[in-house]
Amino acid sequence: MDPPNRLIYREMRKQHLIYLLAAALISVIPACKKTPKYKALIITGQSEYNWKISSESAKQILDLTGLFKTDIIISPEKGEDMSSFTPAFADYDLVVSNYFGDPLNEGTVSALTEYVKGGGGLVIYNSLSDRVTASSETVSVTKRHDFEIRNAITDHPVTEGLPLRWVHQADLILNGIELAGEGPQVLATAYSDTAYSGSGRREPVMIAWNLGKGRIFATMIGTPDDIENNALHCAGFIVTLQRGAEWAASGTVTQDVPSDFPTAAGPVLRPDFTEITSDEVFENIGDYDISKSTKYFTCMQNMIRKAEGDAETLLDIEKKMVKVLEDDETATEAKKLLLRELSWMGSEYCLPAIEALSSVQELADDVDFALNRLR
Amino acid sequence: MKQKTTRRIFIRRSAAAAAGAFIIPNIIPASALGMGGKLPPGDRIVMGAIGTGSQGMSNMRDFLDLKKAVQFVAVCDVDSKHLAGAKQTVDAANKNSDCRTYGDFREFLEKEKLDAVSIALPDHWHGIIYTEAVNKKLNVYGEKPICRTINDGKTIVAAVKKNNIIWQTGSWQRSQPHFRRGAELVINGRIGKVKYIEVGLPDGGRGIGTPPVQEVPPELNWEMWLGPAPKVPYRGVSHWDWRWILDYSGGQLTDWAGHHIDIANWGAGLEYTGPAEISGTGVYPTEGLYNVPVEYDFLCKYADGIEMRVANASRLKHGMGTTWHGDLGWIHTDRGNILTASDPKILDEVIGENEIHLYRSDNHWQNFVDSVRTGTPAIAPIEPAYRAISVGLLGEIAMTTGQTIHWDPVTETIAGNERASRLLSRPYRKPWTLPTV
Repeated sequence: MDPPNRLIYREMRKQHLIYLLAAALISVIPACKKTPKYKALIITGQSEYNWKISSESAKQILDLTGLFKTDIIISPEKGEDMSSFTPAFADYDLVVSNYFGDPLNEGTVSALTEYVKGGGGLVIYNSLSDRVTASSETVSVTKRHDFEIRNAITDHPVTEGLPLRWVHQADLILNGIELAGEGPQVLATAYSDTAYSGSGRREPVMIAWNLGKGRIFATMIGTPDDIENNALHCAGFIVTLQRGAEWAASGTVTQDVPSDFPTAAGPVLRPDFTEITSDEVFENIGDYDISKSTKYFTCMQNMIRKAEGDAETLLDIEKKMVKVLEDDETATEAKKLLLRELSWMGSEYCLPAIEALSSVQELADDVDFALNRLR
Repeated sequence: MKQKTTRRIFIRRSAAAAAGAFIIPNIIPASALGMGGKLPPGDRIVMGAIGTGSQGMSNMRDFLDLKKAVQFVAVCDVDSKHLAGAKQTVDAANKNSDCRTYGDFREFLEKEKLDAVSIALPDHWHGIIYTEAVNKKLNVYGEKPICRTINDGKTIVAAVKKNNIIWQTGSWQRSQPHFRRGAELVINGRIGKVKYIEVGLPDGGRGIGTPPVQEVPPELNWEMWLGPAPKVPYRGVSHWDWRWILDYSGGQLTDWAGHHIDIANWGAGLEYTGPAEISGTGVYPTEGLYNVPVEYDFLCKYADGIEMRVANASRLKHGMGTTWHGDLGWIHTDRGNILTASDPKILDEVIGENEIHLYRSDNHWQNFVDSVRTGTPAIAPIEPAYRAISVGLLGEIAMTTGQTIHWDPVTETIAGNERASRLLSRPYRKPWTLPTV
């Protein structure tokens, strides 16, 4: 481990003690949150990693859910007076700690403690500052690489319904984290490969912690690299952060499992953090080129699955498919795929459009395929 | 030691002497001698092989290991390199260079007069080639899963029944003592009445993206490899890896259904029926050429109240294999000689004389040979194979549609769901059609 990292870990241990203290002081003041919309506060600054990128990204990611309105508060710079850094935690439903640096002043620690006492939600994210759950003095970090994450608990609100195994891109794994007591639950782990300076063991990458009336969700992934920051654009990181945040703020998760969550087959990136919408699917599917991307087509298949046979929803999807099928500019490969899908889920509605293609030589097999099933 | 010259030894010696002055005629198939499908013990069974890739060659070696019980005389493959390798193996075994080779199964089936054929092909070819071979009244050793669709499966089953041939499915776990023991304990009520079964099959793995279109290697007849499947350009994916593409396979789920679901059915007495209700979810890759589910988890409810959960192993407590849960305990079995129970004493239970004794075979390939010789059914006949893969295929339909599927295992139809019913078959690309029985 290089010297700056060692310094970080020493500092992290101090922070870890602060959070443990906060956790220990939790009492039974109930949280009364009835509003569907939550206010979130990201505290950030001083991190070795690019906290500007990670905080802005986290704000975007949270606000995209429509559940959060997120503010960011930045700490004084390293070495400056920390006494004036007194975020108003009590004004928020969720605090996201994306801060790592000089110790917070006592008043702030106390306020955060009170906040958690009252049942507030806390997300510990990124910048390797999330030592809240760590009690080991021998923490290290792997080299950056792609790795597979496995959800260890599948009936927790954060992970329920998600793929069990999914590939995360270009990130670090923390080695040697030990959980503080029985409370924290490891939601997901990753194998820390010795080939990347790993521990050779499975290490936690997501942790959930019910503390009295409060909840803490810690995610160890999503560390910026100042290159492409793909770790932050991984759909798996984004979605688990969104779900973890909602759970921490409310104790439940109302967000649907998205159609683009990564799987064991490979990573999925969201360039602008957003899930592909139905409109985007049908705007782009006509340009289908398997050598570039299959995501719009697979998202469409997921939309069909999600309809669960509902005739009205399926007809709506079918109409959009037919519109693309009838478009002269639609690629032949796209038409082939649409015909294959319509062959089983289509209704009488699509028949004229399919029959109209029967004279197109290069679609002859595919038209046959579709009509064979539909008629 | 003085050795009696048996017919078998005589043939072997004769074959060895074939390079010499006299040449014995090739083995005449027993069926050609008008023996009604039965062979005198000691006679070798004349076989051919269609599909000589990794699994086909593995099966051939297992047959050749049976100390001259069979003689291969012809092989067929759409890959000339595979074909040459297979011929080499056969010729080495026969100590001659007579093995005939074919690139087209139609010519193979037309010209060859055989007792039996070993078939190991990508699933999308099973419907046509299994049915054609059975229609030729050949005894068949056929790889699982026996079909890519329920409709293909129904046709194959009908053909086997009509032609009254010996069928052995490549579900070789049936011929391993610990699987049979587990199933036998369960079917004899040693865990009470079976209520719930868990079947763990492999998780899916990493994709490869989409490789670029490539020139078809000269040894591969790509058009024939695709056959009834949709025409697509060659991207370097054919042998073995066909199982990650839905046009040819259903992935690990359908690849393994013929093993652990088959064993589950064997023990629970579900070999000749199917579930009434199937529901569940799959996880599909977002990107790339490989599009089979990498995770799957579905529940089958049977008319008598038994429930069977089929899932990728990571989702299940016992992981891979079959676990039967009865009202008195559970039994788990898997490869690697694994047989465990909720109470180890269950495994010491003796099965009484008047109880159910499951068919015993200690060598899957020998069992086929013996069955062909005696004209009695093999340990893995066609219908249980069809019922095992049906579970996987119905699960696939439930996952594809996102719906609960209502299946009638007697009429073999889906009730009240036109869309799901369409998925019971896959249209064939011209000029291919599913043969009539």
